[in-house]
Amino acid sequence: MSTHLFSARDMTCALPAPEGEKTIFRGLSFDIDAGEIVDLVGPSGSGKSSLLTAFARLNPHAHGTMSLEGRASAEFSPQQWRRMVAYLPQQPVLIGENVADVIRLPWTLAIRNERHADNTDAASQSKSYGRRHHRSIWGSTHSGTDALPDSTIRSTLDAMGCEDIDLARAPHDLSGGQAARVSLARTLLTDPKLLLADEVDAGLDDDNAAKVATILSHAAQRGMAVIRIRHRPPDGVATRTVTLDKGVLR
Amino acid sequence: MTSTILTTTGMYPVAVQASGTSYPIDIWGLLIALTMVIVASGLSWLMHLGIGKTLLWSACRALVQLCAMGFIMGYVIKSGNPWLVLILITGMLVAAVQITLSRAKGVPKGLAGPVLLSLVITMLLMISMVTELVIRPHPWYAPQLVVPLTGMLLGNTVSALAVGLSRFYESMKERRNEVDTLLALGATRWEAARPSIISSIRLGLLPTTASLASSGIVTIPGMMAGQVIAGGDPFNAAKYQFVILASIAALTLLADTLIMVMVYRTCFTADDQYRDKPVVEHRKRNR
Repeated sequence: MSTHLFSARDMTCALPAPEGEKTIFRGLSFDIDAGEIVDLVGPSGSGKSSLLTAFARLNPHAHGTMSLEGRASAEFSPQQWRRMVAYLPQQPVLIGENVADVIRLPWTLAIRNERHADNTDAASQSKSYGRRHHRSIWGSTHSGTDALPDSTIRSTLDAMGCEDIDLARAPHDLSGGQAARVSLARTLLTDPKLLLADEVDAGLDDDNAAKVATILSHAAQRGMAVIRIRHRPPDGVATRTVTLDKGVLR
Repeated sequence: MTSTILTTTGMYPVAVQASGTSYPIDIWGLLIALTMVIVASGLSWLMHLGIGKTLLWSACRALVQLCAMGFIMGYVIKSGNPWLVLILITGMLVAAVQITLSRAKGVPKGLAGPVLLSLVITMLLMISMVTELVIRPHPWYAPQLVVPLTGMLLGNTVSALAVGLSRFYESMKERRNEVDTLLALGATRWEAARPSIISSIRLGLLPTTASLASSGIVTIPGMMAGQVIAGGDPFNAAKYQFVILASIAALTLLADTLIMVMVYRTCFTADDQYRDKPVVEHRKRNR
């Protein structure tokens, strides 16, 4: 279980239902290596999103055994884990007055703010691990609000093919495609080890979907592992495709 | 015991001593007030406002409750027994918890403990700061001070807590996607809940700050009005009123903050995940 970047064993998800519990999947196993892009497909309602939120430890109805770079998930606080294993929801939720604020939001949180992280971390062993990782693949070298000036955000967005997005724009003025790319940029700038992208190209036109695919393949080339839930036809970016159907992963 | 009775019966609130005349209300006064409510209810019935029955019922309830409270308070003040004061305040606290929980909409079951705790803490602060530090009565538990002050504080905190709690759970439901996004970005449950906490405390405190700002210009608050009507010195009454308003405002903020700190976790699991249905868990020792 230690050779892969991320391993999951015995993943089980059961939703509460009127007639007891409804099992979505049981005993699933999954591995992914650095730099891989895995497409997760399957009929709607098969539990793809539940599986990804379970990987990010965001799903209260799921449990299982997971490890990242050979370390068990229990060694991480939920915040440390989610910093490394980042779930990107299908619906972009952009919090802030303007695009620059939106993208800076993760850096205002305690987990990326060393002074506060010392007090909130429960697992002492994982402390140093959780904070070691400050270099962003997009070039920003510091954590914290001050370390992400507008110019850095600008160059990052430009590098991602988002020249059309003005930093001073209010989030609700963005088009659907722009909002999806800002949401993606926000998570990518936090530089997770594993990105769980839940249908981020759904509802986008082909042009925007292609942009998103290019951004993700760039991230993978720099060592990020990516799992994508997709309903579009294969775009040639994925290294492999797995199907979740009737509780089985193939 | 005799000495206590002597000292308490000899003591009226400082403000009331000042100048003299008070005008008691007889049974006809009560009936006239009740008649006004009946007429208003009749009007509401004619205009199909649908509020007449509630108005009438509430007025009757208020009359009975107030008279009962007046009777009980008279008895407690006369007896000068600190244990009776304690029992009366305990009864008021229990009623306050019950009213808070029945007024707060959409809150999980099992919040009685946190509500009681925040009411007790603020009430103890009220008694120790205002009664013992500012007014300094003899004996220290002087019922005619402690009981009305507690009542005024509870009246304010109860509505602030009810509004604050309702707003918090409503806001957490509305912000579901935002909370999930924040958690996914590595926020702690406190960071994810903070916007809801802030907005609910603000909303809960709105009437208090408004009454603080408008008092003396638009309104003559109840306590000051009461002392003046009872023949007290208006300036003294104003000082009393300010002490009460200021301390109630501060303590209402404290009560709202305390309750939020105690209940925001109910929206999250132990693993900092958003819960669809908030649950009050019995606190485990190891967390």
